[in-house]
Amino acid sequence: MSPRFDRRGDAVVVTLEANEVDLLRTIPDEVRSALTESPSKDDPVYNRLFPSAYLDPTEESAEQEWQELVHPELLQSRLAALELVVATLDRAVTKRGRAEVELAPEEVEAWLGVVNDARLTLGTRLGVTEDAESEAIDPSDPQAPAHAVYGWLTWFENDLVETLLG
Amino acid sequence: MSTAPLEVEEPLTDEAIGTDRPWLVIVWNDPVNLMSYVVYVFQKLFGYSREKATRLMLQVHHDGKAAVSEGTREKAEADVARLHAHGLWATMEHPS
Repeated sequence: MSPRFDRRGDAVVVTLEANEVDLLRTIPDEVRSALTESPSKDDPVYNRLFPSAYLDPTEESAEQEWQELVHPELLQSRLAALELVVATLDRAVTKRGRAEVELAPEEVEAWLGVVNDARLTLGTRLGVTEDAESEAIDPSDPQAPAHAVYGWLTWFENDLVETLLG
Repeated sequence: MSTAPLEVEEPLTDEAIGTDRPWLVIVWNDPVNLMSYVVYVFQKLFGYSREKATRLMLQVHHDGKAAVSEGTREKAEADVARLHAHGLWATMEHPS
């Protein structure tokens, strides 16, 4: 069954199957390690989550100053979003086997940011292409489960964004 | 028949251009970010209409990149940071 997003004023009510809640609970830890465990510009995932501002090599010192200024804030706001997602999942109410949680606007933004960061992390690791959705994944591929999670997150995020765009 | 001389515009000196020339904030295409999400972020961060946000998103998608905002170095740095906070791949440049 599909997760449902219902707007209730400024809030969004999310309805999830139990297995979807289980999957979403694994996401914050996944994203947290991507954000904090490989702080290296050589790591493609880290590089994708924290790109450079300047491409021009003559702006190297401006780039460094900018990184020093904004990186702690970018990291902090992303970690705070993870905490919000965990907290909102914890207060989900189960009704007839489905979990329901009402998200305030800042919580909706946190969910959207975390799901997008999870897709950036997984997508970069899997090396997805723009046509990934139309490519069949071989079930014997050791990466098949990760592709399935990525596909579900894509669908979930698109549904949420469509709800917000109205 | 008019004999008025053609008006020739004085070419701007490099220096004159350099002082006012804005920095451009560029968003690059990537295989992960959803088209709908990119439209949503452009509307949210820059207050663009759905039409303008969609046009810019399609430009990123088809041309590989698009200039989404411009301004002083400080403004461009702030816009790039906000775009990165939303997971978009953005850089800034000073066109020569």
